[in-house]
Amino acid sequence: MKNIKIFLIGLFISACAAKDDYPGVEYAPNMYHSVPYEPLSQVKDKEIGSWLDSNPDDNHGEFYNSNPYNNNEMTMREPVPGTVRRSNYLPYRIPKDSIDLASELKSPLEDSEEVLIEGKVIYTRYCIHCHGDKGMGDGLVGVVYKGVTAYNSRAVKDKTEGDIFHTITHGKGRMWAHGSQISIEDRWKVVKYVQTLQKQ
Amino acid sequence: MIKNSSFRIASKMKFTSVFFLSIFLSFSSLNSSFLFAQDTESVDNSIVQNGESIFKGNCTVCHAINDVVIGPALRDVHERRSEEWLYAFIRNSQKVIQSGDEYAVNLYKEYNNTLMTSFDFNDGELNSILEYIKSESAKPIEVAVAAESNDQGISSDLQSSVSNTTVNILTFLLITLLIITLVVLIQFNKLSKKYILLEDTISGKKLSESDKEFIEYRFDYKRFLKSDFILGATTFVFTIILVRSCIDGLYTVGIQQNYQPAQPIAFSHKIHAGQYEIDCNYCHTGVNISKSANIPSVNICMNCHNAIETDKPEIQKILTAYEENKPIEWVRVHNLPDLSYFNHAQHVKVGGIECETCHGPIKEMDVVYQYSELTMGWCINCHRETNVDAKGNEYYDKLVALHGKNSKNPLKVQDIGGLECSKCHY
Repeated sequence: MKNIKIFLIGLFISACAAKDDYPGVEYAPNMYHSVPYEPLSQVKDKEIGSWLDSNPDDNHGEFYNSNPYNNNEMTMREPVPGTVRRSNYLPYRIPKDSIDLASELKSPLEDSEEVLIEGKVIYTRYCIHCHGDKGMGDGLVGVVYKGVTAYNSRAVKDKTEGDIFHTITHGKGRMWAHGSQISIEDRWKVVKYVQTLQKQ
Repeated sequence: MIKNSSFRIASKMKFTSVFFLSIFLSFSSLNSSFLFAQDTESVDNSIVQNGESIFKGNCTVCHAINDVVIGPALRDVHERRSEEWLYAFIRNSQKVIQSGDEYAVNLYKEYNNTLMTSFDFNDGELNSILEYIKSESAKPIEVAVAAESNDQGISSDLQSSVSNTTVNILTFLLITLLIITLVVLIQFNKLSKKYILLEDTISGKKLSESDKEFIEYRFDYKRFLKSDFILGATTFVFTIILVRSCIDGLYTVGIQQNYQPAQPIAFSHKIHAGQYEIDCNYCHTGVNISKSANIPSVNICMNCHNAIETDKPEIQKILTAYEENKPIEWVRVHNLPDLSYFNHAQHVKVGGIECETCHGPIKEMDVVYQYSELTMGWCINCHRETNVDAKGNEYYDKLVALHGKNSKNPLKVQDIGGLECSKCHY
C-alpha cells in the first residue's frame, strides 16, 4: 500500500514537465506573469489565474494581460500616425506613385568598402531568397514566386539609387513594400550593394 | 567462249561503275542541296539564337512559351497580334493601355492589373525575339518533365527504404540466431540426459551421484522468485527508479523546455527557414535592434503569400487576416518569467550569437518547441564559458586592458558583469 502511494506521488511529480500544449507547472506563478502590459504576450481569458487572484477587485484572474481599450484588445499599439522615429534620417515621404521624383534622389552614404560589406549583410537578410546571391532573380523563393527581374537585365540595370530605394520602400510590380522591415539607413546601404550587382 | 565471257564481265563492270557513279552523283547533288538548305537555316538560326538569349535574359522572368507565369503564355503570339502592336506593347505597355486599345486593356485586367516592364529594344532585337517565339511555337508541347521529377522522388524514397530494410533484416537475423541458440541449448540438455541414461544401461553401472542430480534437477521458479536476493534486488532497482523520476520531475517545475503549443496557422519553420533558406531576420525584424525578436506582422507574410500557395486553407487564414486587418494570435512559445530580463539585440548584434545556439534546430522544426532550458543555471553557465568578442569594438578596449593586468584568461562575459544579479533581475 505504502509503495503504491510513493509510486503515485512519483507519477504526479513527473507530470510537471512541459509537453505539447501544456506549458508545465510553474513554481511561483505570480512572479512569472507580468502585471503590466507585455507587448508580445496576450491573455484574453479573464478566468485564467483566478485561483490565486491577489486583487479580487479587478474582476479578472491573475494572469489576464490584455488591453480592452485597444483594437482587438491588443497589448501593443501602433505608433500615432506621423510619428517620427529617432534616427539620423527624416522620414521618407515621397508617395508610391512618384517614382520619377524619387529616382533623382542621391544616397546620403558615401561609397566605401564598409558600406558595401554592411549592405551585403542586409541583402542576405532581406533580399537574397528572392533575388538570389548574385541578383539574378534566381533565389529559392524567387523561383516559386516568379517574375523576379535580374538586376543586370536591360530593363533595370541603369536604375538610379533613388529609384532602387523607392522600390524597396514601396514595392514595384510584383514586389511588395519592404519599408516596414528595413530601416532607412539599411535601405541606403543595400542600395549601394545592389548597384554593384547591376553592373555585373 | 573466253572472249565472250570477258566481254560479259567488262559489260558487267561498266554497268556497276555507271550504277555506282549515278548513286554517287545523286548523293552529292542531294548533299549539295542539303548544304544549301543548311545555309539559309544558319542565317535564321543566328537570329533565333539571338532572340533566345534576349528572351531568356529579359522575358522568362514573367513569360514562358507554353505556360502562364506572370504574363500570358507566348505560344503563337505572332498569330494573335500584329507585329506593330507587339512592338509597341513591349516598348511601352502602359502607353498602349492608356491609348484605350481594347485588347491591351482586357489583357491588363485579366492579369490582375500587373503592368509589363517597358523594354527599349530596337527593331532588330524585337524581330529576333519574335523569330525565337515563332520557332518555339512550331515545336510540339513537351509533357515529360513531370514524370522525370517524379522518378527522382521515388529513387530517394527507395534509398531510405533500402537502409530501413537492411536494419530490419539485421534485427531479424539476430533474433533468429538467438532462438536457434536457445533451441540448441535445450536440445543439448535433453540429449546429454539421454546419453547419460543410455551409457548407464549399456554399462550396467549405477548412476553416479552427480549424474543423478543432473537428471532429476527441476528448476523451482517459486523458490527462486521469493529468495532474499531477488526480492532485495528488485526493491533496490524499483526505489532507485522512483527516486530518480521524482527528482527529475521536481527539476521540470518552472521549466518549459519542450513546450510545443499548436499555433493558429500551421506555419512550418522547416519549410521557410530550412527548405527555402529565408533568413531569420526577414520576419523577426527586431532581433538586431530591440529586446524582442518580434513575431512578424501579417504584411510580412503577404510579401510572398500574395502569390504563393494562395489556394491552401492555411494560407487563406493569412489572406483573411490581411483583408479584415486583424492580428493573427500566435501562441507564445518562449515565456521567460517576468522576474528576469533578456535582450535579443544585446546577444545577437553585440554578442554575435547564432539563433540556433539557444533556439536549437529551428530549421528542422515543423512546429516550434522550446529547445533550451532557459533556467538561470543555463544562462550563468554560458556567461561563464563565453569569451567576449572585443575585436574592433572600442567599448571594450579599456576593459580588456584592465582585465589583462589581473588575469591570464581571456575576457569572459562574467568578467564584465555577466553574473551580476541586477543585470537580469530588477
